[in-house]
Amino acid sequence: MMSLTYWLLSFWDTLAGHMIVVFYLFVVMNERVTLRRLKKAPALLLSPLAATALAFAMSLVGMEDRAKYTIISCVILLLCTLWLTWAWRICFWRAFSAVCMAGILQTSTSAVVQVIFSLIPGYSFLSYITAYLGLALACRFVFNLLNKLRFGVYFNLLLEDKANLRQTTALLFWLEMSMDMFLMLAGGVEEDYMTLYSVLVVVLEALMVWMVVYLARRFDDQRKLQVQRDTIAQQQLYEQKLEEIRREVRAFRHDYKNLLAGLAQQAGEGDLDALCAALSRLDADFDRRLGEKIQASTQIGNLRIPQVRSLLLGKLAHMGEKGVEYRLEALYPIESVEMDVWDLVRCLGILADNAEEAALETERPWVEIIVLAQGGGAYFRIANSWNGKGEPDKFWEEGYSSKGPGRGTGLDSYRNILKKYPQTVSSTSWSSGAFMQELTIGGRP
Amino acid sequence: MIGIFLCDDDNGVRLRIQAALERKIFIEGWDMAVACSADGPRSLLKAIEGKEPEHGIYFLDVDLKDENWDGFLLGKEIRRLDPHAVLVYITGYGDLAYKTFQYHLEAFDYIVKDQDLLEGAVCRCLEDVWMRLAEEKRVREEIFTLRAGDVLRHIPVKDILFFESASVSHHVLLHTANSWVDFLGSLNELEKQLGERFIRVHRSYLAAADKIDEVDLKRGVLRIRGRECPVSRAGKALIRQKRGGVL
Repeated sequence: MMSLTYWLLSFWDTLAGHMIVVFYLFVVMNERVTLRRLKKAPALLLSPLAATALAFAMSLVGMEDRAKYTIISCVILLLCTLWLTWAWRICFWRAFSAVCMAGILQTSTSAVVQVIFSLIPGYSFLSYITAYLGLALACRFVFNLLNKLRFGVYFNLLLEDKANLRQTTALLFWLEMSMDMFLMLAGGVEEDYMTLYSVLVVVLEALMVWMVVYLARRFDDQRKLQVQRDTIAQQQLYEQKLEEIRREVRAFRHDYKNLLAGLAQQAGEGDLDALCAALSRLDADFDRRLGEKIQASTQIGNLRIPQVRSLLLGKLAHMGEKGVEYRLEALYPIESVEMDVWDLVRCLGILADNAEEAALETERPWVEIIVLAQGGGAYFRIANSWNGKGEPDKFWEEGYSSKGPGRGTGLDSYRNILKKYPQTVSSTSWSSGAFMQELTIGGRP
Repeated sequence: MIGIFLCDDDNGVRLRIQAALERKIFIEGWDMAVACSADGPRSLLKAIEGKEPEHGIYFLDVDLKDENWDGFLLGKEIRRLDPHAVLVYITGYGDLAYKTFQYHLEAFDYIVKDQDLLEGAVCRCLEDVWMRLAEEKRVREEIFTLRAGDVLRHIPVKDILFFESASVSHHVLLHTANSWVDFLGSLNELEKQLGERFIRVHRSYLAAADKIDEVDLKRGVLRIRGRECPVSRAGKALIRQKRGGVL
C-alpha cells in the first residue's frame, strides 16, 4: 500500500498533465486563450480525480502497472473529449482528434522534462520545482512555435475534411497511444541512453506535427485544384452566355430592320396608334430577349473575386439544371472582402447548398442571391423558397438536420468560420414561404 | 403637409409624373404637395439638406446621369437625411437590381417608365403610400434600430422576444419569433436603453417581460413564445418582483 503523499503527488501530476493538454488544445483548435473558453474548466477536475481514483482502485486489486497506465490513459482521453464536447460545443470526433493531438504534444513535452529531470541529481523539492518550471517554459516554447507554424489552422483544415474525419481521428488516436507506450518504455531504458531516447521522442513529435501539416496542405491543394477546375468550367459557361447574347443580337438586328421598315410605313400612313403600339412592342421584345440576359451578365461581371464568382456561378448553374428558378443581383463591383477568400467561399457554399436543398422541397423552387459592396464592406443575402418544415431555431445546433441525424446542415461549420471574424455579423429569418440568411462582412462598425 | 420630391433627368417623364401626382392629390384632397421637382440629384439634395427631416415621399430615377450619384446612392443619402422617407423608384424595365433596392433602402415601390401606363402607376403608388402613412399614424410602433455593417435594420420592439450575448465577444443575438439577428452590442447597454420592459433573466439573456409565458423552475428555463432561454436565480427573483409575486 502506498502512502498518501504518493497519491497526492500522482494526482498533482495528472492534474498538471491535464492543464498542459488544455493549454495545447488552444493551439490545436486555433483558439485564442480567453477566460470565456476556460469558464467550464473546473469541471475538468473530475478527470484527474477519476483517473487517480481508478488508479487507486486498480492498485487495490493488484493490477499490473502497464495495463493500469494504458487503461488510465484511455479513460483520461475519453473524459477530456467529453469535456471538450460539452464545454466548447464541438462534435465528438473533432473533440477526440483535438484531445489526441494535444495528448501527443503533452507526451513529448513530458519527455523533454524527463531530460531536465535526469540532468538534476537527486529528488528534492527544489528539483521538483525546477522540473515544473522547465515544463512550463517548454510548453510556452512549443505553444509559440506551433502558433508561428500556424499549426492550428492546418489542423482544423484537416478536421474540415468531413469524409475522412473518422480516419483522421483513428490515426491520431493510435499515434497518441504509441506515444504513451513510448513514455512507458522509458522505464526500461538504461540511464546512459535516456537522453538519446528523449531526443528520439522529440524528433518523432516534430515528425508528427510535420505530417499533420503536410496532410492538411495536401488536402488544401486538392481543394484549390478542384476550385480551379470549377473556375475554368464556369468561365466557359459565362462565355457561352455571352455567345448567346451575341447570337441574339444578330437575330435581333435582323428583326429590327424588318420592324423599322414596318414602322416607317405606318408613320407614312399617319397611323399614330399603330405606331405607338409597335414601338412599345419593340421595347418589350428587346427587354425580353436581350435586356434580361445583359442584366444577368453585368451582375455576374460585378463579382470580381474569381473564387466567389466561380462558386456562385457553379451553384447557380446547378440550380438551373435542377429546375430551381434563380436570381443574382450584384449592383456594384465587389473586389475584396475583409475575410480569407477561401473562408468566404466555404461560407457561401454552405449557404447556397442549404438554400438549394430547401428550395427543392417546395413546389415552385427559387433561390435569390444578392451581393452588395458598400462602404468598404460586403453584404450577402441568400434567400430561398421554403416549405416551413423543420424547426429553424434548431438549425444552428450541431449536427441538426431536418432529414434526421447524420446529415448536418453545415451551419455549425459556417458559424465556426465566422467566429474568426469579429467584424462579421450574420442573421437568419424566415416566414411562411421563404428562408433568408444574411452575412455582412466589415464596413463601418 | 407631406412634401413630395421628384428627381429625374428626363424632363418629359418628370413633368408627366408631376402632373399625375398633382391631379391625384387635388382629386383626393390629400394634405400633400410637390415640394421639389429636380432634374438632378444635386439640386434635390440642396433642397433637403440642412432642413428638419421631412418624412417626405421621394420619386427617384434609378439611372441618373451624374458621375457621383446613382439611384442607389441617392436613396441612401436621402435615408440618412430623412430616415422615415418613402422611396419610390422610377425605372426602365430590366435595368434594376430590384431586390437590392428593396432590402437595403426599404424602397417602397417601383414605377416602370411605360408610355401608356405611367400615370396610372403613379396614382396607384401614391394611393398605397397614403394608405401606409395613415396606417402608420394609427399604430405608432416603437422601433429598435441596429446596424449591421453598412446597413440599418429596423425591428419593432414588440416583436423582440429576447437578446442573447453570443459566444463571440461583443456580439449580441436578437431573437424574434421568426428571426435571429447578430449585431455588435452589449447586453448591459441594451438593458439601460430598453428599460423596464426587458428583464435580465440571466447573465447572458435579456427577455421581454410581457412575453414570458412560463417559468420552468425545475429545468431553469423560460418559455417565451415557443422559444426557451435559461433563467438564473437572480433572474427568477426579478421576474417575481415585476409580476407582483406571481410566477
